[in-house]
Amino acid sequence: MPLLQRRERVSDEIPTASLADIAFLLLIFFLTTTVFNEERGLPIVLPEKSKEQAVAAKNIIFFLVQPDGRVVVKRGQSEETQTVTAEQVSGIMRQELAANPNIIAAIKTDPKAPYRDMIHVLDGVKDAGADRISLQMLGED
Amino acid sequence: MGLRGGQGGFSRKSRASSEIPTSSLADIAFLLLIFFMVTTTFRKEKKREIDWPKAQATKKVDTKRKNILHIWLTRAGNVWINDQDVPFDQIADMVRPIYAENRQLVIEVRADRDVPYSMVNTITKQLQAAGAVRVVFGTRLAQRVNRPRR
Repeated sequence: MPLLQRRERVSDEIPTASLADIAFLLLIFFLTTTVFNEERGLPIVLPEKSKEQAVAAKNIIFFLVQPDGRVVVKRGQSEETQTVTAEQVSGIMRQELAANPNIIAAIKTDPKAPYRDMIHVLDGVKDAGADRISLQMLGED
Repeated sequence: MGLRGGQGGFSRKSRASSEIPTSSLADIAFLLLIFFMVTTTFRKEKKREIDWPKAQATKKVDTKRKNILHIWLTRAGNVWINDQDVPFDQIADMVRPIYAENRQLVIEVRADRDVPYSMVNTITKQLQAAGAVRVVFGTRLAQRVNRPRR
């Protein structure tokens, strides 16, 4: 009688004890193979090859990035220039945008200037909320 | 015997606490499992060693992973696309067929922060020639402390 009872108890349940083991095995597999998306950056749309267009000079502000990291700011028509640090670009751009929402930020970088300085200026311009941005290299065009 | 018989409630309580409840273990494991299954993307290409430029305005790229093509530019001046070392003047030829296949393509330029700008300019010119004009300059988020707000 006791023998019969024991056998019955064994067979009437689905064994779920190994479920956690299976789940953890798969979990460890995905943990080790996972690579998180790290697509982060500053988006920009380049002008299409044939669609370069002339813009009124008053709607442009030039940021000339020098090899030493300084930035020369030149507004549209005026010949006046102003030398600033990359940190100040954001503030300047904010003012310009407030005065003229259609303004285009033209970032002209010296070929010898490190990429990071150009990114620094682009960051400042983006940070100010500008989305009309043109990238050029000094001594080209 | 008299003690146990008289205090059945006590003995029952101690029996309940003597085991760790493992019935929810599988649920927890499956929850984590599903999280990792959903977030995982398998690596397609080798990572290159670069120093990322830092930017405050860094944003997540709002595109599916399969629509993104990485162009790596290492400090030594090598360009890598899909694990191939591509000369500067052949970037356009390399990108053009990929762009023709997928018009949604976004190019992520992952350049070392110390490369001269002329190299980056060459890449953007080549991309323009290939017609792939949607570009992201890969950056890492800068700490706000570095740059005081004005």
